[in-house]
Amino acid sequence: MIKKIVLTSALALFSGCFALNSSAQGNPAIGKEGIAGSANKFLASLDEAQRAKAVYNFKDDAQRKRWSNLPTSMVKRGGLRMGDLTKAQRDAVSALLAAALSPRGSEKVRQIVEADEDLKKSGGQAMFGHDEYYISFLGQPSTSEPWMIQFGGHHLGINITLAGEHTTLAPSHTGAQPAIYEFEGKTVRPLGHETDKAFALLSSLDEAQRKQAILGFKMHDLVLGPGRDGQTIQPEGIKGSALTEKQREMLLDLASEWTGLMIENAAKAKMDDMKKNVAETWFTWSGPIEKGKGYFRIQGPTVLIEYAPQRLGGDETKHIHTIYREPNNDYGVKWWTQ
Amino acid sequence: MVDAVIKIVRRLPPVLALLALPVRASAHQLDEYLQATLVAIGPTEIRLQINLTPGVAVAEQVLGLIDRNRDGTISTNESAAYAELLKRDLIVQLDRRKVELRLAACYFPEPQVLQTGWGIIQVEYSVTPGVLGAGGHKLTFENRHLPAASVYLFNAAQPGSAAVRITGQKRNENQSTGEIAFDFHPPPNPSVTAGIVVSLAALFVVLFAGAWQASKKLKVGHSDLREAISMEKRYFTSDLSSRS
Repeated sequence: MIKKIVLTSALALFSGCFALNSSAQGNPAIGKEGIAGSANKFLASLDEAQRAKAVYNFKDDAQRKRWSNLPTSMVKRGGLRMGDLTKAQRDAVSALLAAALSPRGSEKVRQIVEADEDLKKSGGQAMFGHDEYYISFLGQPSTSEPWMIQFGGHHLGINITLAGEHTTLAPSHTGAQPAIYEFEGKTVRPLGHETDKAFALLSSLDEAQRKQAILGFKMHDLVLGPGRDGQTIQPEGIKGSALTEKQREMLLDLASEWTGLMIENAAKAKMDDMKKNVAETWFTWSGPIEKGKGYFRIQGPTVLIEYAPQRLGGDETKHIHTIYREPNNDYGVKWWTQ
Repeated sequence: MVDAVIKIVRRLPPVLALLALPVRASAHQLDEYLQATLVAIGPTEIRLQINLTPGVAVAEQVLGLIDRNRDGTISTNESAAYAELLKRDLIVQLDRRKVELRLAACYFPEPQVLQTGWGIIQVEYSVTPGVLGAGGHKLTFENRHLPAASVYLFNAAQPGSAAVRITGQKRNENQSTGEIAFDFHPPPNPSVTAGIVVSLAALFVVLFAGAWQASKKLKVGHSDLREAISMEKRYFTSDLSSRS
């Protein structure tokens, strides 16, 4: 009986996710009104107790920082658990994510959540799976005042801050375990483009460039992962100014795998910033020179991206952590603090 | 597979659990104690922010060092004692001189969370190096805490002060030791600047007064000279006219 309920809810969420995907493809550039509207639509579908649980004060820093790569049984999330919502409410969450992220972004979220479901089905514990993801808000949906959408769980921490004309995903965590799985007869790699593009960039470096880019020691995990808000590390590796024009394009294209998760206008603004600063942007690699097995980092004046394969599970190509940050602008602080 | 290993390891006493682990070459995070250190260098203070994540297979061993009375809770005294134990295993030198670490903050998750292998202990130490001289400096770091079970990360934070500039970082292969080279260029001290301005002003007044006096004397000299020339002219003129 319980198995049947779990299966039914999983299928319901799958259908919601597919709805999310198709709706996103139909609306490639939903504006701020659309995001606030979708959020209000979801909030309107909740009862009073649920709404009180879902919406935090915008100044609630404890909730703002309550996200992690860890399962929700280890690090408790605030907000509403997907497994506790009705199908209609889950559909509204899917519609909101489709409005607040790019099609690529909402697809990645879907694939990461599905990976966690795969982990659960392949012998993982009850702490994994579709139901263990949470949605919450800081502040009220608005087109002028700052507010925030948080969606996350195991290997996912999407933090979208909207402040008038500005939007940022910093800091956000994407990860996957398994990082490759079969779904409906197709092979899915939630972080496949990141993995492939990084290795292509590394492969394009000549020997002298590699000497600069590759660190002589292994990075075992993200340096600025969850809990490291507002911190910035000293850049290392090879600077954009030491790359060829083609390699700089490859570097920007690789970074777009994270910046491109945002809605079109925000992604473009961020990429424009990155292009301006590409000569001051660093690329570094650590660990095995094999696709998917090495740690890498992109660090410039306006972005910090890390990708760290994990050995937990035995095969580091199947368990990946990544982080996206904006130096001095995590949670868009420069837009709403004095 | 992972769950099965966890279950087996958990049933064993801590010492046997360590013996039961696979050898390091095939190790993964289940049997690793990740110790990640971030060093923030400022003009008057250096902060070492250390995140410690014991994997599930070493969690009991680490917890045994923290929860000394085995009552299933981590008291303030126990957390302070563990921070002290860790401190003893850290060797930090600034310009080849050992510096004293002071516990600034610490956070310990519940023992039950640590036992799962997902808990993160956070410990922060501060160093007040005294007055840093302008120019290049080197900070060296060595972490000797539970080396058999540990993997390490060591990184310099980007300085928050423009007076500090990181010029290089070195680590050994497993990052248990590291070196950060940095330049310190203190901004001009406002009181020193004011003193310099006052001194320059005073010097200017003195020089101006001296120049004025000199110019006055010169003027006197010039009028005397003019008088002499005039007398001489008159003399020659009268002499010539008398001769003609």
